Amino acid sequence: MSKWLANNLWRHVVAITVCLFSLFPLYLVIISSLNPTGSLNLTSFIPTEISFKNFSLLFNDPRIPYLTWMRNSLIIAGAVAILSVTIGAASAFAFSRLRFKGKITGLKLLLLVQMFPAILAISAVYVIMERVQTFAPAIGLGTKPGLLLVYLGGAMGVNIWLLKGFVDTIPAELDEAAKVDGASPMQIYWLIFIPLATPVLSVVALLSFIGTFNEFILARLFLVDMPDRTIAVGLQAFIGGQYTQNWGPFAAGSIIASVPIVIIFLSLQKYIVNGLTAGSVKG
Amino acid sequence: MLVSIFRGKFALALKVIALLLVTSVLAMLAQQALAQGEYAIAIFLILATLAINFVYLTRQSVPLKFFLPGLLFLLAFVVGPVLYTVAMSGFQYQSGNIISKPESISQLEKLGKVQDANQTTLDVTIGRATANELAVIYFDFDKNEYAVSTEKSRALQNPATITKNDFDIPNGSPDFKALTNDELGALDSQIPALKFYYDGEYYLGLEGFQSASLYKQSIAYDATKDEFKSLINDKIYRDNGKGNYANINNPEDLLQPGWRAPIWFEHYKSLFTEERLRSPFISVFLWTISFAGLSVLTTFALGLLLALALSKAIRGRRIYRSILILPYAMPSVMSILIWGGMFDTEFGAINNLLGTHIAWFQSAAFARTAVILVNLWLGFPYFYLVASGALQAIPAELSEAAAIDGANPRQIFRKITLPLLLKILSPLLIASFAYNFNNFNLIYLLTGGGPINQLDGDLAGATDILISYTYKIAFKEGNSNLGLASAISLIIFLLVASISLYGLKKSKVLEDLS
Repeated sequence: MSKWLANNLWRHVVAITVCLFSLFPLYLVIISSLNPTGSLNLTSFIPTEISFKNFSLLFNDPRIPYLTWMRNSLIIAGAVAILSVTIGAASAFAFSRLRFKGKITGLKLLLLVQMFPAILAISAVYVIMERVQTFAPAIGLGTKPGLLLVYLGGAMGVNIWLLKGFVDTIPAELDEAAKVDGASPMQIYWLIFIPLATPVLSVVALLSFIGTFNEFILARLFLVDMPDRTIAVGLQAFIGGQYTQNWGPFAAGSIIASVPIVIIFLSLQKYIVNGLTAGSVKG
Repeated sequence: MLVSIFRGKFALALKVIALLLVTSVLAMLAQQALAQGEYAIAIFLILATLAINFVYLTRQSVPLKFFLPGLLFLLAFVVGPVLYTVAMSGFQYQSGNIISKPESISQLEKLGKVQDANQTTLDVTIGRATANELAVIYFDFDKNEYAVSTEKSRALQNPATITKNDFDIPNGSPDFKALTNDELGALDSQIPALKFYYDGEYYLGLEGFQSASLYKQSIAYDATKDEFKSLINDKIYRDNGKGNYANINNPEDLLQPGWRAPIWFEHYKSLFTEERLRSPFISVFLWTISFAGLSVLTTFALGLLLALALSKAIRGRRIYRSILILPYAMPSVMSILIWGGMFDTEFGAINNLLGTHIAWFQSAAFARTAVILVNLWLGFPYFYLVASGALQAIPAELSEAAAIDGANPRQIFRKITLPLLLKILSPLLIASFAYNFNNFNLIYLLTGGGPINQLDGDLAGATDILISYTYKIAFKEGNSNLGLASAISLIIFLLVASISLYGLKKSKVLEDLS
């Protein structure tokens, strides 16, 4: 018994303490969302009354176009995920499988580019898109397609880099064999590589989806109008530092927005941990 | 069957249609950009169109067919903005210095006027005089006479021939015909620029459609000397090389608006020499380093502790693990906002739990503690995950051998496990430092950089890191300084890139490339 204590007790104590730390905010936000007063002020940490008033408020209160925000986020993050993987996969294929002059230099440049945090160039992106606005109002500042383009471009470096890492792990024997049989690079790409890489591509697409869903500052600068906002910007503006006022609906809203992301994340755990050790840090 | 899709007429037709579509959209955009005078963007679009057609219509380069789209996006939205940032950092580019120099001169001339001492304002009607030129008709109560003024001359009118409207304001004479409302509407945008002759010194400037005031030009531009001269007190204003005309006897006395002028390395220099910029820059820089360092230290320590505690297959390990990575799985924007509410002074859960009444975001020390604590919550699962992986990678033989030699567990950890772990994880520690160096969302959403010492009128707050400080400089309403912000951005980039390159060298990624 004492040996068990010496060897294992401290492990459980550490684990339980840190689990409480990590659960505390989540528990708090859940009981707040069920608290009918909707106030930040909790008289007790154990809920006395449970109601779904805050949730129904989200869908009925005209001050909070919650569903519109959610739709915007899903559309933008979904489009970025699909398009960036479509474009990135082709580049990753070239960098991983084809031989060409300047490949090493290209990879080094790519590495450098993907280190430049997009936020550093944010004022330049802003001014450039302001100019684009003058001649192409449909894709300039303040439009969803404009934001989409900026996201695509900004994530391209990281995505190609990440995809190349994953693609390198797919054995090359099959496309070597096809090459011997006289297949062109295009045929190898579409008929052999893409079917093989589909699982990997979908993982990167989902990661990119999470990243975009979580992006805040570009979305805030770009999408100013209430119905154009993404969920992150919308909820931030809604709470607006005035935590006491809108806490209940905010808690409910953040739970609904988080659940799908948490589910995707947990189901991709294995890949994410592999990606982590490869040196990329989640935003 | 499948193979045939990628060969033959069908594939060719598909390719041609796609190319035509892309080409026409890009060409249309380029043409619109040209029409607006956005030459750099237009040239990029034209080159991109040519490149696309060349690459996909010839067999010159197969790899390019694969990475051209990605490359174009990178050029347009990463390389382009970076170059633009470099360019902006060499310019005086801020509120009041946004337009070009010729635009600035014409605005200064337009704005450089003063009213007469009595601030005379007359009721006028706008119309056309005999030669069909624009004119105004009015009763001049100073001189007690009716007159019609055109740009060049002023003609007295016979009071008997004047017609008036319901408000007793003159609106017609044999020499003058009033404009209709439609004609006035068409004139709207030119109104501020119109001048009508009064007496050589003063002219009549319109204040809307129905009244005009007496003005005289207060400054005059001399194009040959490129200087403005005050017509009131003879002060001379010359181009100060920094985007403004400045009084030659008092460099602080500037004419507004200025223009965006190239000042080369002035921003970089002033960051290190001007006290007003240097002291906030240095204090923000030091806090950025401490914040990133402390974040890595705390998250790594807690993550490692957990990894060690759960390195043995104890009961419930799977459940612990699932709970422990929840903070990492949550969208961080939501988590940070939730924490913001928890730190509320009146009703927040933290004060409630501790039984205190601390105004967390009002004092520098408390705000910094809160920032580190929240980042610990957000970041420890990452190091828990990677440290668990690294622990498994350390061969068990090493510690077993040490144990046989009589080392106790603490010695084994300090002398064997920890050094090896640090060696394996050092690239990730460095990457995490670089990431936190630019952890904008956390600072912006939790404290907004505050608390700020309001008395200084300063932008930098106690928890501002370089990137959030830069953001404030660039986007502050009414007082944005894009040039300075760009210069700081580039300094951050150089710092972060060197840190990251150092980390990559350690991880041997670069060697794997070749």
